[in-house]
Amino acid sequence: MNDELTTDPSKPSQRMRAGSLSLTLTPWIVAAFLLLVLPFVFTNNSAITIMNQMWITVIFALAYNMLLGQGGMLSFGHAVYAGVGGFACMHIMNMSDFFAMFPLPVLPLFGGLFGMGLALIVGSFSTRSAGTVFAMISLGVGELIAACSVIIVAFFGGEEGISGDRTYAMPFFGNEFLQPIDVYYLTSFWVLLSAALMYLWSRTPVGRMANAVRDNPERAQFLGYSSRWVRFYSFVASGFFAGVAGGLFGINYEILTEENLNTASSGVILLVTFLGGVGFFFGPIIGAIVFTLLQTVLSLQTELWAFYVGALFLATVMFFPGGLAGILMMHVPAIKLGKAGGLVRPYIKTLVPALIGILGLAALVEMTFHVRHAATGDNEMTLFWTTFDSHAILPWIIAIGVTVVGLGLARATLPAMKEAWSEANSVGGKL
Amino acid sequence: MSTPALELTGLKKSFGKAEIIRGIDLSIGKAERHAIIGPNGAGKSTLFNLITARFPPTSGTVKLHGEDLAGLQPFQINRRGLSRSFQITNIFPAMTVFENVRCALLWAQGYKYSFWNLVNRSRSLTEGADAILDQINLLARRDLPAGMLSYAEQRALEIGITIAGGADVIMLDEPTAGMSHSETDYITDLILKVTAGKTLIMVEHDMGVVFGLADRISVLVYGEIIATGKPADVRADPKVQEAYLGAALEAEH
Repeated sequence: MNDELTTDPSKPSQRMRAGSLSLTLTPWIVAAFLLLVLPFVFTNNSAITIMNQMWITVIFALAYNMLLGQGGMLSFGHAVYAGVGGFACMHIMNMSDFFAMFPLPVLPLFGGLFGMGLALIVGSFSTRSAGTVFAMISLGVGELIAACSVIIVAFFGGEEGISGDRTYAMPFFGNEFLQPIDVYYLTSFWVLLSAALMYLWSRTPVGRMANAVRDNPERAQFLGYSSRWVRFYSFVASGFFAGVAGGLFGINYEILTEENLNTASSGVILLVTFLGGVGFFFGPIIGAIVFTLLQTVLSLQTELWAFYVGALFLATVMFFPGGLAGILMMHVPAIKLGKAGGLVRPYIKTLVPALIGILGLAALVEMTFHVRHAATGDNEMTLFWTTFDSHAILPWIIAIGVTVVGLGLARATLPAMKEAWSEANSVGGKL
Repeated sequence: MSTPALELTGLKKSFGKAEIIRGIDLSIGKAERHAIIGPNGAGKSTLFNLITARFPPTSGTVKLHGEDLAGLQPFQINRRGLSRSFQITNIFPAMTVFENVRCALLWAQGYKYSFWNLVNRSRSLTEGADAILDQINLLARRDLPAGMLSYAEQRALEIGITIAGGADVIMLDEPTAGMSHSETDYITDLILKVTAGKTLIMVEHDMGVVFGLADRISVLVYGEIIATGKPADVRADPKVQEAYLGAALEAEH
């Protein structure tokens, strides 16, 4: 037994207890401040709508990660809990007498309760085991409920969906939520509350055991916990927060359709969560922000945005299974050793050419797309603020050249970057 | 005579036509340290798995403190005061050493499935887990992921997890398998220390450990117990020597 590392038994726990409050509160205060201030930085309505969309996705992705990251349950049909919560909220909106006595900010709570109700029913049989069985049941239930949307028209509204008007709610301190900015603060309140509650959940006995069951269900059984019930509680809680996200979606867009609960939406939230990183609590938050930006900003620039998002997802799965949060957290040891500064130059040397190469590749994709799909005779295209003839040879040569040189340079400098990486992560040695 | 801690009657298990456990009757008293030995494939681990309901017996009963365990799930058996370790190290590798032990304390301290308590606010959890870590000499490794520990440390951690919940019947499946001499001595001392006053049932190959630890020994050969008794009596039993022990004892001395 190795005894060279000895610590005072009382100290680590004291340090943890004393430090935990300030350490855990800081990010929340920063987040609250940012939520408050962002509308003053991005003032136009479309930016505020994008942020609303972002916060809704944050709640949904965090709820999804309660299953995937913390509970080890891969769901292919989690959009139904958000969707059903959202539909329920739309129906409440349409009950005019009731809704007139109802302050709008409370509505997402009902979305949550309906999402939770559905999760109670489905979870009662789907959480018996994790793994493939759980994934298949989630897929089946997802398809089933999506199919119901055209069968049970009274609830799901068929193909048109259900629409409503949030402004019929009881004015909330005189506010009727006419403007996107009003909805922004409502959404911000809920994103902060939901994220805090989900974080606290992960610190409770049932939240800790969710991790234990994920890592080793059998061991958890022999510690007195039923793996199934631990999964069930995570599932129900996740359904609640998904429903909250659905309710907020209803408030924002005032319409819900089959699209909100189909398998494609379930796939998107899996992608968002994985892109952000399932291993850390804040991973899905990054994922939701990045994905929403790509979805809204990139889609204005190119029709092929989904192609690039798909490529990014693929690259994440293959090279960075920890997601964006994993990439960030990889640097913590180097920062702790005080050697992160040594990484800046190698990063610039490798990543800037890589970025240029990737942009060159994207140009080739766009040009190919233009040549194949633009109307005959329309040879002119605009890319990176430059207008040129997509059928001429010169732009192709330039694009190929930039791609080859960029990626080639990145490849050539990669060993140096790797060396710098291992240097930055080893104790001692030259600085 | 008081109720035995663990009582097996006519326990049988078949997988298809293969009869692995062929009718075992065994009674283990409170605070007894009982070792189950036998050649490879004798069914020792299967017997452990039958007792802890990892799979159901074909026939026969298992009684813990006089209560029949038939139809109970592993977690229910654990709540009744029986805890086990595994032949292959079975911990939570991604969690820290401290969290491994803390998880093992949650049910015992009555936290159940609560989501209104915060684990790091509980002094009794933190201090309880640190006390266990102190006992198994892993305080220095407290905040490391359990998967990064050395093999012997992981085995020690597994014993820590097994005893943490305060179960009074502890079952250890080959706790010293794959260890060096010094590591084996270390784990043996550890087992003696942490199971004081508790009922211990262990499967073990190392005869030094068995004769050093056990009050009584059962010899399992082809799914049957051919001898049960004090170490000296078992050692002298001609049937045992013939079946198994002779060769092992010769190798030992």
